[in-house]
Parts: sequence; structure tokens; C-alpha cells
Amino acid sequence: MRRGGEGRGRLLLITLIVTALFLITLDLRGVGLLEGARQGTQSVLSPFQRAGSVALTPVKNFFSDVTHLGRTRNQIKELREDNAKLRSQLMQRKNADSQLAQLKNVLNLAGTAGYKIVNARVISQGSSQSFSQTITIDSGSKAGIKKNMTVLSEFGLAGVVKEVSPNSALISLATDPSFRIGIRIARSQQIGILSGRGSRSASLQLIDNLTSIKVGDVLLSRGSIANRPFVPGVPVGYVTAVDNSAGAIAQSATVHLYTDFSSLGVVAIVVGGADVNPGDALVPEKPMPTPVPTVTIYVSPSPTPTN
Amino acid sequence: MTRQFSLALGQLFLVFVVQEAVVNQFRLPAGGFSLLLIFTLVWAILSLPEIAALIGFFSGLLMDLSQTSSGPIGHWTLLMIAACYAVAYLGSGNESLSGNPLGFTFLVASAVFFVELSFVATGVLLGVASGSFIQVLITSVGVSIWSLVVTPIFLPLISFLHQVTFNKRTVL
Repeated sequence: MRRGGEGRGRLLLITLIVTALFLITLDLRGVGLLEGARQGTQSVLSPFQRAGSVALTPVKNFFSDVTHLGRTRNQIKELREDNAKLRSQLMQRKNADSQLAQLKNVLNLAGTAGYKIVNARVISQGSSQSFSQTITIDSGSKAGIKKNMTVLSEFGLAGVVKEVSPNSALISLATDPSFRIGIRIARSQQIGILSGRGSRSASLQLIDNLTSIKVGDVLLSRGSIANRPFVPGVPVGYVTAVDNSAGAIAQSATVHLYTDFSSLGVVAIVVGGADVNPGDALVPEKPMPTPVPTVTIYVSPSPTPTN
Repeated sequence: MTRQFSLALGQLFLVFVVQEAVVNQFRLPAGGFSLLLIFTLVWAILSLPEIAALIGFFSGLLMDLSQTSSGPIGHWTLLMIAACYAVAYLGSGNESLSGNPLGFTFLVASAVFFVELSFVATGVLLGVASGSFIQVLITSVGVSIWSLVVTPIFLPLISFLHQVTFNKRTVL
């Protein structure tokens, strides 16, 4: 009897492993049924995610605020002076203001280039246990969003639409290790490929070696055929370090992405590209250096008293 | 048995919804934690290896159905079958583990670490991009540390639910 039980257990284990391998094979071969299952799950989950996003608004940024404590110290100092009621109101207002500011900036960005956009709120941050960097937004195919559309933040490129369900969509962020985008350098018009690295710094590989990259060079998206997945002219980031190692076939550099992915609240999905290529119109202005007052002191020796 | 598995599936689905709708809302540093992963591993340790493999199968399938999963469907399923079978095998070989929450927690955290690393290793074979080595290491260690912190909090509830669902360590 025991031997029979062991045999059944082994058979079950083998059946489970074979089923898992079968699923992997089907998915890698692109069987639509499995993709439909994922979309179906997302359709079921999106109302819960939306409810969770609303319910947890006051506390969900707690941990990112802790990690950026230095930056918000002044703000905390001001808040401390308020009483508990005002503090709670202020936190809710702060969230709304932040989303409004992001929305305003993203509309400015899209308006300058003439992109047709759909705005959406971020309702869930993807789990990074699968080593992917994603977010879920509260708009989907009903709002005209399709797979492989460019996603903008208030500062520039945020990512690309990876999956779409009727009321939500999954965005692959520019930090995702599988993310690739063709870019051009605003200064030299040189082209290259930018790859995500799992953090806000990405790596750039130039196609040819004719001109050189400089620290501070601004990168813009090169654009794709029919504007999908990428519309042209979107600010992506700027070069922070150049790898000048001898013997390299193509030049490479480290790029700091413009978008602050830790505070994404509102994004815009480009549903229609501009009629004309915006060129360098969206290159962010360089911050004006604050003039430092200089004081020149002339010291003239006092006349030596002569007696 | 069918009733027990229907109950178990319902609970796994509920934990999956909580993970996707609540836990993922928090922007936790270093990858955060996966409640479903912890829940499944604790149940696996409390079960016989064959039952654990079955629990791992359904849990992995749910993880695969999440849109945030980067691998193909079946990737997490395969890993969870193996991981749950392995921890159940270790757990059944060590009867004192059930009365030792500290050892239990360390076993879960270690299992989480190895599951994450296995996900990356098998992901490489399946063509899944996982980022730089440092990023992978930070996430794997981070998720394990989070599991170390979170597991003792949920352990009484998870083991209670296991007891209610299966009554005791079950056989097929």
C-alpha cells in the first residue's frame, strides 16, 4: 500500500513538472490562449488595485519618503508645526497637488510636440521580485490605449505599453532590463541604443564611432515606424559618464534618465504622434546658474606714521 | 480531499489579490516581499512533499498569471513545484521545525533567496532579462530580508489557516 502511495506521489510530481514545462513551451511559442489568461487575470485584479490605490493613498509613499528623507526634511519641519488635522489634510492635498503638477507638466510636454495623449493614474507598482520594472495604470483599451505605445512622464520618456486590458494597462518602465529604445543625441544627431539596467541610470551604445559623446549630452527618442512603439523627439536622459576604453567597437556611456520613477503618479500615453517631427523642441532647458555675488576687498596699507 | 483543495485554492487566490492590490501599492525598497511566496512556502513546510508540490503548482500558476511577471507562463510554476517539494522534504525530515518558529522563519527566508536566484538562473536560459548582477543581488537579498521580517508576523495566521484547511499533515 505504501509503495502504491509513493508511486502515486511520484506520478503526481512528474505530471506537475511536465504540465509546467508544457505551459512554458506553449507560452514561448506564442499561443494566444495563455496571453488571454494573463489579460483576464488583470481584468479581474484591476478593480481591486484601483480600490487599494485609493484606500492606501495616505500611506503608500511612506517608504519612498523615508528613503528620500534628506530631501523632504524642510517639508517635514513645516508640517510639524501644524496640528494633526491640518497635517492629514495637507497630506491629501499634497498628493493631489503633486498629481496635478505632474499632469500639467506632462500636458505641456505633449502639447509642445503636438502628441495626442491619454492621461492615466498609476494604480500599482509592479513587483520587482520578477526583476522587471513595471507599473499598472487605470486606463486601457477602452480609452484607446494599445500595446507598444509611448508613455510619457512630466520629465520625458517613462516607458512603453506592454499589455492592455479593457480598463488597465501594464507599462514597462525605461528602467526595465529588457527595455530598449533607439535614441539620437540632440547635439550631434548621432544615433544609438539605450538599454535599461534596473535603476535610473541606463546604458547607451552608439551605432558608429565617428563622433564622440560628451558628458551632459541630451538624448531624445529617435522614433519608430508609424510612431510605435516610440514617437520621435521625447527627452530620455542625459549622459553622465563616457566609456572611452581603447579597443571598444562602439562608444558606450552611462545615462541618467529624466523621469523620477519612484514618484510616478500620473502618466500620459501617446495615442497619436505629432504631424511633424518635433525635432529638438522638447530638449529641456539647462538650469540657469545662480549668480554668486562676489565681493572684492581692496586693502591699502595705512600710511606709516613717520615721526 | 477535493474540498480541502478548493479551500486551499480559494485562500491562495485571496493572498494573490492582497499581494497585487495591497502589498504592491507600497513602494518598498529592495524589492519588497511576496506574501504569496511566503504563504506558499510556509504551507509547503507544513505539508507532505507531494501535497506541497501541488500547492506550489497552483501558487506558481497564480504568480505566472500576474501581468508583472516577466517570465513565460509556467516559469514560476516550475520553480514553485521544485521549491515547495524541496522545503517540504526538508521540513518532513526535521520534525522539531514545527515547534521552532525561528528555524521556520530562517528556512522560509533562505528558500525565498534560492527561489529568487533560481528564477534568474532559469530566466537566463529562457531569455528573460533580469538586469545587472548587482541589481539581481540587491533584489534577492532584499526580498529575503523582507521575508525574514514579515514571516514571523504572518506565521501564526498562515499555520492556523493550514491547520483549518488540512487538519494535519495530509497524505494522498
